[in-house]
Amino acid sequence: MRDVSFDIQRGEIFGLVGESGSGKSTVVQAILRTLTPPAIITGGEILLSGKDILSMSHREVLQFRWQEISIVMQSALNALNPVLSIHKQISDVLYTHRGLSKDQADKRIRELFDLVDISYDRLDSFPHELSGGMRQRVVLAIALALMPPVIIMDEPTTALDVIVERDILFKVLELRKKLGFTILFITHDLNLLLEFADRLAVMLNGQVIETGDVAQIGSGGQHAYTKKLIGALPSAGGKRKKDLLPQPKSLNFGEKPLLEVQSLNKDFVLSGFLRPKLLHAVKDVSFEVFPGEIVGLVGESGSGKSTIARLIARLIPPTSGAIRLDGVNILKSERTTASLEYRQKVQMIFQDPFGSLNSVHTVFHHLARPLIRHRLVPKSDLYKYIIDILESVELSPGALFADKFPHEMSGGERQRVAIARVLSLQPEIIVADEPTSMLDVSIRLDILKILANLRIKKNVAILFITHDLASARYLADRIIVLQKGSQVEHGYSEALIQAPQHMYTKQLIAAASPGWLSSKISDCK
Amino acid sequence: MATRFNDSVLVRWVKGILGNRKALTGSLLVILFVAIALIGPYFTYDPTAFLGTPISPPSFDHWFGTTGQGQDVLAQTISGARQTLLIGFCTGFFVILIGALIGGISGYYGGRVDDILSMLINVFLVMPGLPLMVILASWLPPGPLTLIGVLVLTGWAWNARVIRSQMMSYRGRDFVSAAIVSGERNIRIILIEIMPRMLSLLASSFIGASIYAIGAQVGLEFLGLGDVSAITWGTNLYWASNDLALLTGSWWTFVPTGLSIALVSFGLTLVNFGIDEVTNPRLISERKWRKHLPKSRLNNGITPVVRNND
Repeated sequence: MRDVSFDIQRGEIFGLVGESGSGKSTVVQAILRTLTPPAIITGGEILLSGKDILSMSHREVLQFRWQEISIVMQSALNALNPVLSIHKQISDVLYTHRGLSKDQADKRIRELFDLVDISYDRLDSFPHELSGGMRQRVVLAIALALMPPVIIMDEPTTALDVIVERDILFKVLELRKKLGFTILFITHDLNLLLEFADRLAVMLNGQVIETGDVAQIGSGGQHAYTKKLIGALPSAGGKRKKDLLPQPKSLNFGEKPLLEVQSLNKDFVLSGFLRPKLLHAVKDVSFEVFPGEIVGLVGESGSGKSTIARLIARLIPPTSGAIRLDGVNILKSERTTASLEYRQKVQMIFQDPFGSLNSVHTVFHHLARPLIRHRLVPKSDLYKYIIDILESVELSPGALFADKFPHEMSGGERQRVAIARVLSLQPEIIVADEPTSMLDVSIRLDILKILANLRIKKNVAILFITHDLASARYLADRIIVLQKGSQVEHGYSEALIQAPQHMYTKQLIAAASPGWLSSKISDCK
Repeated sequence: MATRFNDSVLVRWVKGILGNRKALTGSLLVILFVAIALIGPYFTYDPTAFLGTPISPPSFDHWFGTTGQGQDVLAQTISGARQTLLIGFCTGFFVILIGALIGGISGYYGGRVDDILSMLINVFLVMPGLPLMVILASWLPPGPLTLIGVLVLTGWAWNARVIRSQMMSYRGRDFVSAAIVSGERNIRIILIEIMPRMLSLLASSFIGASIYAIGAQVGLEFLGLGDVSAITWGTNLYWASNDLALLTGSWWTFVPTGLSIALVSFGLTLVNFGIDEVTNPRLISERKWRKHLPKSRLNNGITPVVRNND
C-alpha cells in the first residue's frame, strides 16, 4: 500500500472499491491498527476528528477502537465466536467499554436488537442457529453498541445472497438516517456502491487511482481502469445490451436432447445421534440440454445448484431419478462408477481455480493426464496439442504457460487452465459450476466470452451454474431458476428476464437491477 | 519433456531445507552419524575383542576407555550405531508405508472400507503398546527383524490415523474432484495427486516414527529383550548396567552411547522443526520481523508505526 489519501466528511457514505489484492482491506486494518507484524505502518497520518490515530499510545488505541470507530466484517460467521451466545458477545462490548451493570446492558441490548430488527427471544441463540442475514444484523448491532461516529463496513454483504444483501443495506441506510453515523464502505462491487455511496475511491495495486463523486465516477470516470470496471458486467434488469457476448446464428439445437435429467432427487443424511436428519438438497428436478446449447441454472446458496452439478458430473450418486446421456440412462447402465466414455463426454469446471488445480503439478501435467488416460492424442503429438489448447483459451505463448505451476498464475489464468483441461477431452457437455464467482470483476467477462466462443466453435453444450442472474442472462439461451432444491421457473433467458412469472424470480431480478435502492434511498436521505 | 524438474515439489523442498538453519544443522548431525555408522567400523578396533584392562578410563589407546569385558568403548559406540540406526530408519519407513497405505485407503474411499479399516486402526491404538512390545520381543527369537516387526506392529496405527484424517480433508478438495471427472484412476489420484501434497506430513511422521523406534529399541535392548550378543546402543547400555557401571563410577561405558542417542534424536527433531518452518514460512518471517520492532509487550495486537524518515 502506497500513499493512500482520502478524506471522509461527517455523515457521508464513502465507498472504497477495488479487486482482491488492491489493498482495500489493508487500509481498514491500518485505520484500526489491527495489522500484525510483519506489517508495519511506515508513514502518513490517519486523522479522526483531528486526532492522529498513528501517534496514539497503545492504551489510547484500545480506547478509540469501538468507541470512535467500529467495524462490520465480511463474514459474520467468522466475526462471531461460535461457542458464545450472541447475548454474551454483545454484552462483552458493553461491559469492557462502558462498565454497565447486567440490567443496564440488557436494556441497551434490547434497544440495539430493536434497531436491527432482531426479535429479543433470539438473544440466547448461538451464531450457527441464525441465518446469514441475521448474523450480519447481529454484527451490525455489535458495531452500533457504543454508537461510534464512524462505522467501517468491510464487504459486509459479499457472503450473502442478493435478496438478503438488499435487506441488510436497507437496514443500514435506515439506521444511518436515524443515528447519523459516517460509513466507510469497502467492497469489490462497484455497481453496489454506485447505488448508495456519496463519494468513492477506486483502488488498484495498493494505490488510490481515482476519487470522486458517485455521479462523476458512475458516468465513466477518468482512469482507464475505472472505465473497465464500470463496463465490466451487465445487469439483470433493463434493456439487453447488444453484442456483449458472441451468439450463435440460430437457437435451434435440434430435436434430440443430449442430456436429460428426470425427476432427480438428492438427500443428504445429516448427522444426528439417534435420529439422523434428512436434508433434501435437490427435489424433483427435471430439465434437458440440447447439443450446443447453454442452459443457465440460477439460484442462491442452498438452492441445490452445486449439488446438481456434482450429480451430473457423477461425483456423488443421486437418491432417485434418471440422468440420460444420448438417451441412455447412465444410472442404470453404469450403476456404481462412471465409464471412461462418460468421463470424456461430460466435463466439469469448478468454482475455485485455486482449489481445482493441484499446486504440486505443472499446467502441462494437468492437461496431459486426461489425454493420456483417454488415449486421445498419441504421445508424440501431446506437447503440441497442449500448446494449441492453451493458446485457444488465450494463454499465450502456450509453451510458457505449460511450464508454470498454479501458484505462478493469477486467478483468471488458472481458470483458463481449468477450461483448457476440460476442453482437451473434447467433451459434449461442460458443467460449469460458478466459473466466474471467485474471479475479479474485470476478468469475469473475459471468461464468459471464452465460454460463449467455445460453444460456437466446438458446438459443445454448457450447463452454466451461477448465482448471478445477469451473467446467466447474457451467456445462457435458457434459464432455470432454483429455490431450495426445487425448480421454480424455466424459460428462454430474455423472456424470463423481461416477464418473470414466479415471485422469487421477480425478487431476484429486482435485486440485481440498477436502481433497486433508489426508491428507498429517497426516504432515507 | 517440458516439466520443470528444478521447480518440482521435491527440489523446492530440498532447497527449503538447505536454506533453513535448523533443518540444515539437524540434517548435518544425522548425516554425520549415518556416515560414522557406515564407514566408522573399518577404522576402529574389533568391538568384540578383549583388548586390555577391563574398565579402564579413557586413555590415548582407548579414547573412550574400555568396558567391563575389556572391549573398546569407542569401537562399540561406532558399530552400535549401525544396527540401531538401521532398525530405527527401517521401522520409520515401514510405519509410514503401512500408515499411508491403510490410512490413505481408509480416508480416500470412506464408507464401508473406512469403517473396517478405522476399526482395525482403533484396535491397534487402544492396545497397550509397551507391554505388548515387551511380550512380543521376549517371545519371538531375538534379532533385528523381530525388533523391526514388533516396533512396526505397535507403532503404525497412530500414523495411519493422522494420514487418514489428512486424506479425508484432501478427498473433498476440488483438485481431487477434477481428477475424478477427468477419468483418472483412484490409485493414481492417491499416489500422484494427493501423496505429494502430504510430503511434509509424511516426512515429519517418518522422522517422528524413527525417533520413536530408536528410543523404543534401545529401551527393549536395555531390558535385555533384544539379541544381547549383537552390538547396538541398547546392548551397550545393557552391558554397562550389568557391569554395575554406576556403582563402579565408570561413566565412560555409558555416556558416549547415551550422548549419541540424544544427539541423533536432537538432530532428527531439528529437521522436523525445519520442515515445519519450510512448509509454513510464517513461522520464520514473524521471528525475523520481531527483531526490528520496539520491544513492548503492549505492542501485541496493534500495528506498530515505524517511520522511515525518523
